[in-house]
Amino acid sequence: MPLTHTRWITAVLASLMIFPIFIGLIGTLLPAFQFLPPIGEYQFSLTPWVNLFSNQEFYSSLKLTLVTGIVAPLISLWFALSLVVWGHDKRFFRTIESLLSPILAVPHAAIAIGLLFLLSPSGWLVRLFSPWLTGFERPPNWITVQDPYGLSLVFALAIKEMPYLLFVILAALKGLKVKESLQVGQSLGYGRFTLWRKVLIPQIYPLIRLPIFIVVAFSLTVVDLALVIGPNTPSTLAVTLYRWFNNPDLSLRLMASAGAIFLMLVIALVLVGWETIHRVFSRITRAERGNGKRRGLTDGLLHLGAYLSIVTLASAFVALLVLPIWALAKRWRFPDALPSKWTWDNIERAKPLLFELTSNTLSIALLSTIIACAVSLVMLETKRISYQKSPSTSNNHVFDWLIYIPILLPQIGFLFGLHVLLIYLDLNGNFYTIVALHIMYVLPYVYLTLKGPYLAYNEDYLLEANRLKYHPWRHYLVVKLAMLRPALLTAFAMGFSVSVAQYLPTLIAGEGRYSTLTTEAVARAASGDRKQVGSMALLQALFPVLVFWLAQYIPSRWTKWRLTLICFFSKDKQCSE
Amino acid sequence: MLRVKDFSLSTPNKTLIEALSFDIEKGQVLSLMGPSGIGKSSLLHYLSGHLANSLQATGEVFLDDISLHDKPAEQRKVGLLQQSPLLFPHMSIMENLLFAIPENKPKKVRKALAIEALEKLKIRDKANALPNELSGGQQARVALLRTLLAEPNYLLLDEPFSKLDPALRRDVRAFVLTEIRQANIPALLVTHDEKDAEAMEGNSLYLSPLI
Repeated sequence: MPLTHTRWITAVLASLMIFPIFIGLIGTLLPAFQFLPPIGEYQFSLTPWVNLFSNQEFYSSLKLTLVTGIVAPLISLWFALSLVVWGHDKRFFRTIESLLSPILAVPHAAIAIGLLFLLSPSGWLVRLFSPWLTGFERPPNWITVQDPYGLSLVFALAIKEMPYLLFVILAALKGLKVKESLQVGQSLGYGRFTLWRKVLIPQIYPLIRLPIFIVVAFSLTVVDLALVIGPNTPSTLAVTLYRWFNNPDLSLRLMASAGAIFLMLVIALVLVGWETIHRVFSRITRAERGNGKRRGLTDGLLHLGAYLSIVTLASAFVALLVLPIWALAKRWRFPDALPSKWTWDNIERAKPLLFELTSNTLSIALLSTIIACAVSLVMLETKRISYQKSPSTSNNHVFDWLIYIPILLPQIGFLFGLHVLLIYLDLNGNFYTIVALHIMYVLPYVYLTLKGPYLAYNEDYLLEANRLKYHPWRHYLVVKLAMLRPALLTAFAMGFSVSVAQYLPTLIAGEGRYSTLTTEAVARAASGDRKQVGSMALLQALFPVLVFWLAQYIPSRWTKWRLTLICFFSKDKQCSE
Repeated sequence: MLRVKDFSLSTPNKTLIEALSFDIEKGQVLSLMGPSGIGKSSLLHYLSGHLANSLQATGEVFLDDISLHDKPAEQRKVGLLQQSPLLFPHMSIMENLLFAIPENKPKKVRKALAIEALEKLKIRDKANALPNELSGGQQARVALLRTLLAEPNYLLLDEPFSKLDPALRRDVRAFVLTEIRQANIPALLVTHDEKDAEAMEGNSLYLSPLI
């Protein structure tokens, strides 16, 4: 891209990225100290904090958040590492690898709803084993999902986070000498699992530290997943805050703001604690690594983790499988393993609603992702140019860390603050506001997906094109971007799936005037109308998977198709071969 | 005629080339040789208008007495052939050739020129093939013809034969020389291989390190 004034572009884009976050944080920080002009609070005071700390629900929510938010990433990391250790050289592992992107593409709300249908007392799991094994003629009186300990929430989080960590670990492995290390170690008589633990995992960890932090921050602050499958009384802190923010009693907003600030501090503390423990742990294990033992107890732990991770992945699939069954079920009495009568009626009946939700979802996702792709290209090009100008200084471009802020900051922490600004500007409930908020979350994923391939592009092709004839803009499109098509489409699919999955941003910017498949499915998840929720969650999962599949399928065939088409319409006989 | 006058090249702390001057007649190939890192490729980059920022270059370049050194790269009408053929992988051979032919020519002429090039390479049937379906030698030849179809005023060759296997190299060298003579433009070849220089049947220049 023949860009000029890259400094200005960098400055403008960086401030556009910072501005909403800054406003959102201010909009949360001020109310946390009793300053909220829209409801007539102009006096700074510590009352919200006093209220927060004397609130019993706060403590129980916080405890729940800490447990689920720390246990889930630990389990996910354990599972993901175990699976890689156990299977990385097995052929069957390639299948898992190729299934990763569709799993990653499925919005977490859809998986959570599927899990709800699978694990609840009247869910598929119990049905499959009833009555022949369990003897149940009616759903048992158990609490399986939305359990007070948050176990089902931890499980749902692990299902979502394990594939992501797996994906990141596999990417990190490409830069390590895995095969060589294992060969050397095995010739020294080490067991494979011990080698991974002593040699490879310590090398992997620094490479995936940031993704782990993202996972921790996500687990501590997730709202939609916890609404669907998390405990209710009390709920996790993020959900409790969300209820307070939405309470008709506006004064609760002040306490909620204080809580949101507190939650951000909690994230910071947990991350610092995590890193400290890791440091201590690695210092302890460093001595242990050299003790010469060829096998260790952790081998069993990794073995166990591998099996459990397979179970986790499988249940994700089963959970998704149960969605279409519910969407098409007419009569499905309790102990039956499958519906006794099938029908299209559910979908037929919900058609107008589904149509509206789908068109909202798709138009928001398409628009925000296309814009995010364009912005990412401009950002990457400015980064490339500044790197070209001075390779030494701009290794750490401002975009490279700025882009992580929206991912790492809890949505609950600043979206409600931002909402106040939106009301001031009369932008609330506006379609384009939703798109703008989506871009904030889509952009980081598009940028990060595109970054590697874009910067690795061999500029010589573009230079050669412009030497043959000078059309810098046109060649940027028909040479550079055309050659980057696979990466562009993957980044697009990534952004698209992120947009489809957005719950809180859609709700806050749209104020319910624009519902999407995600907001509606989450809102109705507990309603008990499984047939309708099933069809919504199904569509919600379907579109991202479809787009991911197209992104894989199209680029490798595009040129062939194009040339065949040209041949078809030309009179050139040489074409036929 | 391509004339380079008093060309000097230096990094911030070292002078690489000092006061180098030479002329190349139309249809002639001048071969430039010397050890790695002496600045041969940088001279080519300078002549094509894409010298890296970290290098300092002075001197004058004239093409038929019109100065080139003060012109931006896009106005120089330069052809550059490098180690890698840089054929666009997402375009057919035909499209790669058409890409280079000046736009002001009528459509029929453009097509005829591309087909002529294909026939010259005896790959008329590969018009719709993708570059990766051709052998390395064929790709190198297509790359040369593509460069020449853009009708450059002078040609720079940056070790274009080094990636070919030895048996092919001889054929491609001969092909390149014939084409350059036919196009009747001055060409500068940078190479490590003395046989390249011999095959070009022109003058050679050896750059040695400055002490």
